[in-house]
Amino acid sequence: MKKYGLILLIGLTFLSCRKDEIDLTEGPNLTDVYGEFSVINTLVASQSNVDYTSGQSVYFTAEISIISDWELKITGQSSGAEKIITGTGKVLEASSSTWNGSTTNFPMFQAEICDVALSFNGQTDTLFTTVTIDAPKTNAGFLLADFETGWVGGWTSFIQSGGNMDFNIKTDGSAPQLGSHYNMQGIVNWDWLVGLVNFNSAAYGTTTLPLSSNADNLYFNALIYGQPGLPNSRVLFQFDEDEDEGGTFNAVNEDQFGYEILIDWEGWRLISVKYSDLEGNGAGGGVHNPDKINAVNMLHLADPSSGLAISKLDYLIFTENAALNP
Amino acid sequence: MKYILIFVILTLISPAFAQRGKKVQFIGGARSLISHANFTSTEDDSVTAPKSTGGYALVDLGIKINPNKSTEILGMFRIRNNFGAFWGGGVSFDVRQLYVRGVAGKVLRYQIGNLDYKLTPYTFYNHNADLLTRSVGTLGVKEDIFNYESFYKENTWRQQGASINFALQFPKVVKEIEFNGFITRLNPTDFNNILERLYGGGNVVITQSKHLMLGVNHVSIFDLQGTAVDSNAYSNNVSTLTYDVSFGGDKIKFGVDGESGISSSGMSLTPDETLKDYFIHARAYMNLKKKNLGFDVGYMDNGADFRSFGAQSKRIDYSQQNNFFKRYTNNQIVRPVSMYDLYNDPNLYSVGIQTGIMDYNPAVNNALPYGIATFNRRGAYVGASYSDSAKIIDASAKYYYLNEIRGQGTTVLKTFNYVNVDAHFSLSNLLNWKKELGVHAGLVFQQTTRDGDFTFEEVDLSSLTLNAGLEIEFIDKLSLMANVFVLQSAGTDQLPVRDANDVIVNYSEFKVSGIETNLAGGLKFDFSKTIYLAAMYEWNKNSFVADNPYNFNQMSIYYVIKF
Repeated sequence: MKKYGLILLIGLTFLSCRKDEIDLTEGPNLTDVYGEFSVINTLVASQSNVDYTSGQSVYFTAEISIISDWELKITGQSSGAEKIITGTGKVLEASSSTWNGSTTNFPMFQAEICDVALSFNGQTDTLFTTVTIDAPKTNAGFLLADFETGWVGGWTSFIQSGGNMDFNIKTDGSAPQLGSHYNMQGIVNWDWLVGLVNFNSAAYGTTTLPLSSNADNLYFNALIYGQPGLPNSRVLFQFDEDEDEGGTFNAVNEDQFGYEILIDWEGWRLISVKYSDLEGNGAGGGVHNPDKINAVNMLHLADPSSGLAISKLDYLIFTENAALNP
Repeated sequence: MKYILIFVILTLISPAFAQRGKKVQFIGGARSLISHANFTSTEDDSVTAPKSTGGYALVDLGIKINPNKSTEILGMFRIRNNFGAFWGGGVSFDVRQLYVRGVAGKVLRYQIGNLDYKLTPYTFYNHNADLLTRSVGTLGVKEDIFNYESFYKENTWRQQGASINFALQFPKVVKEIEFNGFITRLNPTDFNNILERLYGGGNVVITQSKHLMLGVNHVSIFDLQGTAVDSNAYSNNVSTLTYDVSFGGDKIKFGVDGESGISSSGMSLTPDETLKDYFIHARAYMNLKKKNLGFDVGYMDNGADFRSFGAQSKRIDYSQQNNFFKRYTNNQIVRPVSMYDLYNDPNLYSVGIQTGIMDYNPAVNNALPYGIATFNRRGAYVGASYSDSAKIIDASAKYYYLNEIRGQGTTVLKTFNYVNVDAHFSLSNLLNWKKELGVHAGLVFQQTTRDGDFTFEEVDLSSLTLNAGLEIEFIDKLSLMANVFVLQSAGTDQLPVRDANDVIVNYSEFKVSGIETNLAGGLKFDFSKTIYLAAMYEWNKNSFVADNPYNFNQMSIYYVIKF
């Protein structure tokens, strides 16, 4: 009998059924994915004017009938700056479409009217609106150079006497931030160095740059331009630490950290690096002391056999807590 | 208590201990492969280099030390050298195996270091859900290699940790109670966002007699709080009950076995989002011993939220890319992982438990992509097997009829039909020929369907896998190998797209109409049972990528030694 009881017990387990889940589904409804596309609510900005200097931001709302990959493209009418926000869903709302004034494709936004276009993957419909920037986004940090006020007294430079040399501040409408940038161009067929600029702390009226001592929390950022068809330029940033605070940097017993970038892209690009990630010469013990930097040297380099090298530089800025979000 | 005599025994005796007297042994293997492939895709492909030649030699050298009768230490390292890469470049040194095992106090069997471990099919088990057919011949050689590389042994997973095992035997009422336990490390902490993740569990198996067995099993994947800044700890707990009740004697044996249990899976900071579910799997079987026939019928109900990643981790991670002709055509499109790659590239196989739902290829296995532990499946199956006493025929067949339990994006459920037939014929036994003469064939058919009010709800996907091969020892120790492998699939399915938390957020249309054919032939010379040299030539044709079919020929020479 015991055996049959056990079989019965197992049989009951065998035949037991779960509560029917016929009304339950998981995931979005298929009709929300593959149904007919239509616009339910058109694109609207949460405010028509935005002042980013006062902490404002703008978000966009819209609603469509099916889940779709969407792209929100904001274009400055004057600057041509672009901000692109992407997402997937049926509804655009603050959580997915807030714009804090930052830029995806340079130049940066100015005080200007912006065209906003919302497009959907696989659909021909595009929704439009506009938003006006009363004051563009500003970035907290120590601005090393943006070349807007011309050559600053205290900066020093060395430019090789090569061919087609043009190391000058330009205001020709191609700057990614405001109006001016630093142009670097030349042929030097005997040396890697084409030209250099020393951004000395004296130019800022201090013996060392006014930076945080926390190297893990400090970022160096710069906008660098890659000349189309000339991927031979390199930029080397050197950070001289006056560790004994004697007023000068001594490479024999003081740390110098460096960051070299091969400019193999075209157009403007933001580069950012955490100060503690920089590699150094080890002369001063190798400890990162950003509060003891007394000069940032920018060296424009190129292989001597590669011919003409062209690059541009703008908006050198130290930021804390995070890399620059321009 | 005086009527009960408790024997404490060792439940398993390791083969290593069979060679008593040898305190130090050298074990391991060596392998060398050289291959040359000729790839062809579209006629105007001028970007892809059409030929590829390469190879390697490797040696696995292990030192097994028995400092005493009850302890064994194994350390094995690997030296690998890619051909043409001497003097440092392309040479690698790795530790392949490291463990200590033994018996403590003549009672407790333990192992520390590398473990090859499994428990039950729903708790901790390495299901082979992508190669649904067995192989002989050329594919058998390859299968042997990637199983060796990935440490796949009888559905075990290679882990690093510790395990214990002991058993109690009783003279009455209960024959034996066996205890198993393990703890392994799935990933280390980064001291910031990633917590230390461990995997532990065990079971108690009570064998009342040869007619009744009960097991209680539990496994848990869990994060150790305090090992990183992040305090959101993951856990996946699975508890099951296993049983096997049988009756009969020498002529006929019948019974019921199965496994049922519950699972929970979630994060500590979002307990409301914890997934909880259960599963039931029961099987009735009958063996006609004199006729060498076996039959079984089973029922399974694996809940949609049943998660047991120790049993649902896949061997193949389909989200990764090939290493062989990775891209092709002038547009350099990615060449998807094919069946050829599954047999040829051990690097595609994972050697660990993944805590997340892994990608799968519906053309290969849509019915049970995570093996028998696949969630969201309910249905029944029937099977039959025959193995004659003369060992001429060994055949089995199984048919599954399954449904989803919970619809994905619709209340209409998918239906899965799955047939798996496998047969091995030993013609040498039939003809009383002393040399090997074996033919093997496996056939798998799967069909997934779903009706609906809308066209986009409808699903109709079918796939057919044929794997046939033979080995003929036509000269002493020299065998001819020939193989045919075909995977054909056509139809459409809607596959769920999941976010980082495995929640379905969208669907992608899986549309396929293709066929992969692999014909292979070769020779194999067996120097001994563990040393062989094999040369093979393959023709592979693949049309699974619409508009970009490709084919290639490959010649390979393998030299395999195990000692």
